[in-house]
Amino acid sequence: MANVTIDNVVKRYGAAEIMHGVNVDIDDGEFVVLVGPSGCGKSTLLRMIAGLEEISSGQIRIGGRVVNDVPPKERDIAMVFQSYALYPHKTVAENMGFPLKMAKRPQAEIDSKVGKAAQILDLSHLLKRYPKQLSGGQRQRVAMGRAIVRDPQVFLFDEPLSNLDAKLRVTMRVEIKELHQRLKTTIIYVTHDQIEAMTMADKIVVMRDGRVEQIGAPLDLYDRPQNVFVAGFIGSPAMNFIHGRIQSQGAALQFVAESGLVLPVPPGSAEEGRAVIYGIRPEDIEIGPGGIPVRVAVIEPMGAETQVFAKVGNDMIDAIVRQRIAARPGDELPFRIDVSKVHLFDRATEKRI
Amino acid sequence: MRSNKLGWMLLAPTLVILGLFGVVPFIYVLWVSFHQWNPFAANPEMIANGADNFRQLVFDTGFLSSLSVTLAFVFFAVTSELILGYALAQAFMKDFPGKAFFRTIHTLPLIMAPIIVGSIWKLMTTPSIGIIPDLLDSWFGYDLNIGQSAVAAFVTTVVMDIWHWTPLVTLSLIAALVALPADPFEQAQIDGASKRQIFWHITLPMIRPAIVATVFIRLMDALRVVDEVLMLTGGGPGSATRYIGVHIFREVFPRTNYGYGSAVSVVVLYITILVCWLLYVGLIAPRNNKA
Repeated sequence: MANVTIDNVVKRYGAAEIMHGVNVDIDDGEFVVLVGPSGCGKSTLLRMIAGLEEISSGQIRIGGRVVNDVPPKERDIAMVFQSYALYPHKTVAENMGFPLKMAKRPQAEIDSKVGKAAQILDLSHLLKRYPKQLSGGQRQRVAMGRAIVRDPQVFLFDEPLSNLDAKLRVTMRVEIKELHQRLKTTIIYVTHDQIEAMTMADKIVVMRDGRVEQIGAPLDLYDRPQNVFVAGFIGSPAMNFIHGRIQSQGAALQFVAESGLVLPVPPGSAEEGRAVIYGIRPEDIEIGPGGIPVRVAVIEPMGAETQVFAKVGNDMIDAIVRQRIAARPGDELPFRIDVSKVHLFDRATEKRI
Repeated sequence: MRSNKLGWMLLAPTLVILGLFGVVPFIYVLWVSFHQWNPFAANPEMIANGADNFRQLVFDTGFLSSLSVTLAFVFFAVTSELILGYALAQAFMKDFPGKAFFRTIHTLPLIMAPIIVGSIWKLMTTPSIGIIPDLLDSWFGYDLNIGQSAVAAFVTTVVMDIWHWTPLVTLSLIAALVALPADPFEQAQIDGASKRQIFWHITLPMIRPAIVATVFIRLMDALRVVDEVLMLTGGGPGSATRYIGVHIFREVFPRTNYGYGSAVSVVVLYITILVCWLLYVGLIAPRNNKA
C-alpha cells in the first residue's frame, strides 16, 4: 500500500503536448477515479503511472519513490486492462499465478495464493479452464485475480467494465468496491462513465484535453462543480444550462434567459447585469403549484420516476420527478425550481460564480 | 438436392486435377514400387517382385547413408532458418531507416527458381573464380573447395538452403508477430516478467502455431531438396551431399531403375510423415496435455 503523487506531469508526442502539467495527490488506500470523455488523457496518465508510457516532464512518485525511470515490473503495481489481457495459452490458475511465478516464488505459495484469490472471486471451479472457455465477466474476474495475488502497492484499472453488459457492470462495480473495502489497497481507476466514478470513488479527478478540471469527493463535485464542463459531466441526466443575464427586480435578483424565461436565483449570488450560464439539475426541479409554467415537449415515464422535457424558446429544460404525470405534449406544467440548488457560471470563463 | 449437385459441380475441377496429378501418380508409384522394372535392361518388362525392392533398401548402404545425411541437412538447415528467421522478424518489427527496402530485398531469394540458386552458388563457390573461396582465403586463410572436402560441401549446401529459405520463415513469423495483441505483453511487463521470460512464456507460446506450420513446410521442402544440390555439388564429393532426392534422381534417371526408385520414394514419403508426426507429438501434443 502506498500513496501516489502526480506532480506537474506533462506528456508530449513529438511537438504535440497532450498533457499539460497534471497534479494529483492520492492518499494511501484511497479509491481514485480518473474520469473524462475519450481523448482527455486519463488512460495515458494511468499508463504513465504503470510505466508503459514515458513521462515527458514532471514526476510520478509511488510510496515516496520517484518512478519516472523505473520499469513497470519494479513499480510494485498491478493493472487490469480493458481487454483483460489474459494470456490465451495459460489456464486461469496459470494466468493468476503468473506474476508470482515470474518472481520465482515456491509453487506451494503460488497455489495457496491463487486458491485464496479464486475463492474471493468465486473462480475456484474454473481454475483449469482457458480464457476462451470463460464468459466476459469471468475473464474480468480472472484479470482481477491476477492483480490481487500480487498484493501490490497500487491497483490500476483501465476501463475494466466497458466490455461487459449493463447488468454485469453493476454487479462487478459492487464487487470491485467490496474488494477495495476488504483489501484497503490504493486503487486508481479510469473510466469514461460518470456513474462508475460517482458510485465507486473516494475521490474523482475530472479530466478534459489533458488538464485536470476538478478534483474532489463525488458529492462535492455533484454539489459544487467548479465549471460548466464538470457540472455537465457529473450527474445523469446532465444538468440543464440556460444562457442569460442577472437582472434586478426591486430589491431581489432574478435570471432572465435569452428566450425571455425568468428564473429565480439565490440572493446575492451574482451582480446585476452579469452574463451567466444558469445551471439546474433535472432532479432539482419539481412540478407543483407556484412553479413557472412551461410547455411540455416530451414525457418519458420510467416507472419509478418520470422525465419531462419542456421547450422554452431555444432552451430545452429537463426535469425528473417522482410523481406520474398525466399531461400530454403541448400542455403547460408548472416547473418549481429549488433555488438553493441553482448553479451560476460566468458566461465568458464558464467558471462557477 | 439441387444445391448439393451444384456443390459437386463446383468441386469437380479441383477433384479431377487433384485426382489426375496427385492420387493417380501416387498409386502408380506405389504399384511400380512392387515391381522390378528397368525399361532399358535386357528384360524391359515389369515383373512383380513383391516387397523385394523394400527388402533391398534396408540393406542398401547407399540409401542408408543418403538418409542420414539428409536428416542432418534438414536438422541444421531448418533449425538455423528458424532461429535466423525469428531474429530477422523481430528486427523487422522495429522501425529503422530503409526498413521497407531491406524487407523487400531480403525476400528476393524466395522468388528465385532453385536451379538458379544452385547455379549462382556454384559460380560463387567454384575455387579460383568464386567470390566465397576468395574471401575466405583472404580473411581466414581457409581454402574452400566443395569439390574435395565433404564437410565443406555439406556446410555449403546447408548455407545455401538457409540463404534461400530463411526469408520464408521471416515472412511467416512477421505475420504472426504483427497479429499479436499488445495488451498481454504490457501486462507481462507489469507482472514482473523480464525480456527473456516474456519471450519464453508469452511470445513463443503465442506464435507457436505459426512456428509449427512454418517448420512443417520447411521440413517437407528440405527433405525433398534436389535441384539446388544437384546443381551445386551433384551429390558429391563422394556421397557427402547425396540427399534422398538426389539419390532417387541418380537411381532413376541414369540407371533407369524405376521399380527401386519408386520404392525409395514411397519410403521417403513415409519418413516425411513420420518426422512430421514426431514433431507434432513433440511440439503440440504435450503442451495441450500439460496445460
